[in-house]
Amino acid sequence: MELVVGVDVGNSTTEACLAQVGKGAVTLLATALTRTTGVKGTPKNADGAVTAVRAALERAGVTPDALHRVLLNEATPVISGLAMETITETIITESTMIGHNPATPGGTGIGVGVTVAIGDVLDGPEGPVVVVVPPGWDFDDVAATLNAAVDKGVDLTAAILAGDDAVLVTNRLTRKVPVVDEVAAVEKVPLGMLSAVEVAPPGRTIRTLSNSYGLATVFGLDPQQTRQVAPVARALTGNRSAVVVRTPTGDVTDRRIPVGELTLRGEARTVRVDVDAGAEAIMDALARAQPLVDATGEPGTHVGGMLAQVRDTMTDITGQPASEIAIRDVLAVDTMVPAEVRGGLAGEVALENAVALAAMVRTDRSRMQAVADRVADELGTSAAVGGIEGAMAALGALTTPGVERPVAVLDLGGGSTDAALLDRDGACVAMHVAGAGELVTKLIDAELALDNRETAEHVKRHPLAKVESFYHLRHEDGTVQFVQEPLPPQVFARVVTLGADGPSPVPTRLNLDAIRRVRREAKRRVFVVNALRALRQVAPRGDLRALDFVVLLGGSALDFEVPDMLADALAPYGVVCGTGNVHGTEGPRNAVASGLVMAYAQAAAP
Amino acid sequence: MKERPEPPTIVVRHGGAPGPVLREVCAGAEEEGVPTRVEPSGTPADAPALAHAAALASPLEVGVGIDGDGAVAVHHASLPPGAPALALPAGGDPPGWRRAGAVAARIVTGLPIA
Repeated sequence: MELVVGVDVGNSTTEACLAQVGKGAVTLLATALTRTTGVKGTPKNADGAVTAVRAALERAGVTPDALHRVLLNEATPVISGLAMETITETIITESTMIGHNPATPGGTGIGVGVTVAIGDVLDGPEGPVVVVVPPGWDFDDVAATLNAAVDKGVDLTAAILAGDDAVLVTNRLTRKVPVVDEVAAVEKVPLGMLSAVEVAPPGRTIRTLSNSYGLATVFGLDPQQTRQVAPVARALTGNRSAVVVRTPTGDVTDRRIPVGELTLRGEARTVRVDVDAGAEAIMDALARAQPLVDATGEPGTHVGGMLAQVRDTMTDITGQPASEIAIRDVLAVDTMVPAEVRGGLAGEVALENAVALAAMVRTDRSRMQAVADRVADELGTSAAVGGIEGAMAALGALTTPGVERPVAVLDLGGGSTDAALLDRDGACVAMHVAGAGELVTKLIDAELALDNRETAEHVKRHPLAKVESFYHLRHEDGTVQFVQEPLPPQVFARVVTLGADGPSPVPTRLNLDAIRRVRREAKRRVFVVNALRALRQVAPRGDLRALDFVVLLGGSALDFEVPDMLADALAPYGVVCGTGNVHGTEGPRNAVASGLVMAYAQAAAP
Repeated sequence: MKERPEPPTIVVRHGGAPGPVLREVCAGAEEEGVPTRVEPSGTPADAPALAHAAALASPLEVGVGIDGDGAVAVHHASLPPGAPALALPAGGDPPGWRRAGAVAARIVTGLPIA
């Protein structure tokens, strides 16, 4: 009988499995989990490994000197990097329009007239006017001035305000006109120009200014001019209020940023693809180039910069020169990113197209032997590196109740999604594809414009709820929960994530359904796409129907919805898919550490 | 003849509140589209206590309290008296008072207040 401990150093956690091994039989004594110290595959990992081993020994009530051997995983030499670039941009030139959505515009309807500063409106301007009010004006003074002007015979048709006063002003007007407020850069609205202001009734969106022919009618445009203002109409679609000012040169342009060409060098052929053709075209090109030897971007373009950034990160981690780093897989994902419109007057936001790229690099310099030497020193025992990670994970997954060979494991990690297949004879193939949990976080962060990785991580990990009163909230599945203690005012009426520290607000104006859709789509586009991609590469003849059991492992296998999404995606192929339960007790954790112990026992058996 | 029920309002109670504070608080609620009813308070009290009493008197269960120094509190009838939804010390500015009125209205309409 021998006392051995398997240690798996992962990207974020280090796991240990302590067992008694004799004559091919394995008796599990204890497991332990701790945070990985340093970057995976570097000597600093030894501290975390020793902590994990000590914890397992303590739990089993065994002293370190009874330990026969420490078994470490051969760290998968795979690292991944991420980059994201917007490929479109909306620019307003010469302040032709205001297309934001103030919470409370005033009045309803459309007003067309020449823009006049409120200070000049009592001079009795001719013809229909749209009054522009700078900051600092009180709502009573604005209303009194406008009423006096109307009494003098001025044809008031609409007003544009800097402050948040539209309803207050409208309530005090003798002639009701549409009023748009909260226009921060109101001083940039050109005066003496023909303009149109439209406010839709509550619950509706504007109809005239978001219609190209509506604009043509209002401003008397010819077909050539109508063609030019079409982007303005499109940019205003879906708003409750809008202002369009007709300036001689003003325009809204929807510019496509040249992103550059991606060169995918495969073993058999090289394929080039324009990144702005979108994710689908990139993934098609990748399929034609498989197996990939390296990927490069055109120097001086966005894609060149994106891949250079990935290579630089790899250089920092591995110490290998950038020229030696080959990108072995990429995952491209189309995304829509809200971005502030350049030249906007009220902080307008437009949805821009973007492409996110995850790239994966294989390195040949694993320094696990150095880790093993330090662990052996610290614990006063022998330590060895052994076992390919994928094969060890599959062995560990076999301890899940209800699983037998051939078994495929899918390790849903942070940077890469890894698949391995262990066949009836014990032969194993393993595959790594770029893109996993980190890319999901990045997509959520960008699409919700959170600009905060931690908040995005919260949205990814926890279900949502809407706080409906100080004492109850409605979960995303519709369940209502009453609470005994009042909820804090800062979460009142907000969409919140429900983590361990209670409800925390998601800082966005989007409603619960929209946030939920972003979260689920991000997970689908990364995990479902990658699971199918990785499994096809390990399945016999690339046929998913040839797989029987698929066991999900890794941190993201603990996600509250990813396992269900994957089971749904694999169901049509007749595959049994579920979250692993190593030893029937450990859940999707500890598979590699356990696999190391089992492989040792098998090798020791006569 | 049955008496016609009065339209629901936010109740604003004050103990001799400064005029500008009262005006901005009412304007904040009006901009959000919710009516207010202003009542002087008979008994002297601090802003949170005035606000809680006002919330209990409001058919919308939302009240604003303003004390003689211009401190403002916003309350909901279901909250503990000592824990108002918003409390502003005396010596605030017009945008702050306007926001207090908006917060009261947003508790009624169920919109975020922070």
